Amino acid sequence: MTTTLLKQSISMAEALSVSVTGIIVVMIILALLAVIVVLLSKTIRLFESKTKKKTPATQTEPAKAPVKSENPQAINNGQPLPETQSAGTLDLYKTDEKTAAIIMAIVSNESGIPLNRLEFKSIKLIEE
Amino acid sequence: MQIIEALVSLFQESGFAHLAWQNWVMIVISFGLLYLAIVKKYEPLLLLPIAFGMLLVNIYPDIMYDPLAIATPGGEVIDASAHWYDSGVLRLIYCGVKSSIFPCLIFLGVGAMTDFGPLLANPSSLLLGAAAQLGIYVAFIIAIATNLIPGYEGFTPVEAASIAIIGGADGPTAIYLTGKLAPHLLGPIAVAAYSYMALIPLIQPPIMKLLTTDKERKIKMEQLRTVSKAEKIIFPIVVTVVCVLVIPSTAPLIGMLMLGNLFKESGVTDRLSDTAQNALCNIVTIMLGVTVGATAEGKTFLAFKTVLVIVIGLLAFMFSTAGGVLFAKLMNVATKGRVNPLIGSAGVSAVPMAARVSQVEGRKYNPSNFLLMHAMGPNVAGVIGSAVAAGFLLSRFG
Repeated sequence: MTTTLLKQSISMAEALSVSVTGIIVVMIILALLAVIVVLLSKTIRLFESKTKKKTPATQTEPAKAPVKSENPQAINNGQPLPETQSAGTLDLYKTDEKTAAIIMAIVSNESGIPLNRLEFKSIKLIEE
Repeated sequence: MQIIEALVSLFQESGFAHLAWQNWVMIVISFGLLYLAIVKKYEPLLLLPIAFGMLLVNIYPDIMYDPLAIATPGGEVIDASAHWYDSGVLRLIYCGVKSSIFPCLIFLGVGAMTDFGPLLANPSSLLLGAAAQLGIYVAFIIAIATNLIPGYEGFTPVEAASIAIIGGADGPTAIYLTGKLAPHLLGPIAVAAYSYMALIPLIQPPIMKLLTTDKERKIKMEQLRTVSKAEKIIFPIVVTVVCVLVIPSTAPLIGMLMLGNLFKESGVTDRLSDTAQNALCNIVTIMLGVTVGATAEGKTFLAFKTVLVIVIGLLAFMFSTAGGVLFAKLMNVATKGRVNPLIGSAGVSAVPMAARVSQVEGRKYNPSNFLLMHAMGPNVAGVIGSAVAAGFLLSRFG
């Protein structure tokens, strides 16, 4: 097959055959990757949950560990957050709370996303 | 008298006496591209160096002069007095394109800039990235079908494969494959690929609107889960092993893409990641852009073949967009209305422009909708998909 395709011209039937094979090959490889990713994710999450369970309950939490959630709205004791409040814990570096609040409000306004759907991780002053 | 002779001699040596009409046309086109890059800000980082390279080579064609071009097919140089260092300066830099070094280094930078998190959070995005390669294969058939035009010899299979890869909407991949299969078409294909990537906000929305209903465009998608660091680190290694084992010719592109990503995600090579993302990527972009533009020398560029490349390239882009949207519609049906088909168009590579188009179009129909991160999954999957498609074409015709 490859030899015939290296010639100067190919028929429409051969072109169609190459195209169909090509799209099938791409589909199969990416589908295979998708399956591997799913299996990988499940294995890693299973492993991580087991590791967490083995951790002694008395172990102290890190001082500034940010609250992680798959859905920021799910924090706040299961109740949705008010629209004026963002999810997670915010670390401030050389930034006062007032400036941070202004920045968060601007981001929310410019992006059109309510604050309760945003999660800010840190705000840092960059000195020139 | 001597002054007049000097002036005549100066004129005879100037570009005014040597340039053909095709060069003047290309100079005007380069002005147009410079306008699009600077004023309209269409992909300026690429379009500006490409346009300037085009301008330079059409004012002074010898800047791409290759003294070694007169060689036997076996590579033996006939003119013993010719040396590689006598080449035009852009011809020397162009070696990076011919040898595929530049596209691969760009992929290293792209990998270091890419966050595969959205794709890992929603692995079915990979299927959208595959479906949006449809245009490549449709364009291949169309290019072969040009043989049917009366009085026209049409494209050879290697030329058709190079033109078709424009549908992958991935500049480095298009340059890589064309450099390997049909280097004489590098100019038109690179210009077409980058121009269409810049014009994605104009090309995609009408197709997206045509293929989706108002109800589908308003669908809100669930927030993506958080992806762990371990998943992000293992992913590039797994992709490299799977893709390269199945199609070994994807190794240069996929390998460099995933190496760059591993630099970023491993967390132990911050300096390398920073260099790949910024300094290296910028340097290579300058050299790649200028020399690719410099392949568009008027006398060879302005031909009927170029027009066909431009037209087929546009069709490839349109079919790729349609392929992604239609497959997303299928996924929407399969998941009982949980997938907004607008994210399918992002399956063409063009990171992150195609994802941005999905976001902008989604918000037009539902202002509270936020599709960007959902579209980033198919978008980065498209990069892998187009590299795999290029590897497949290379394995068949290379």
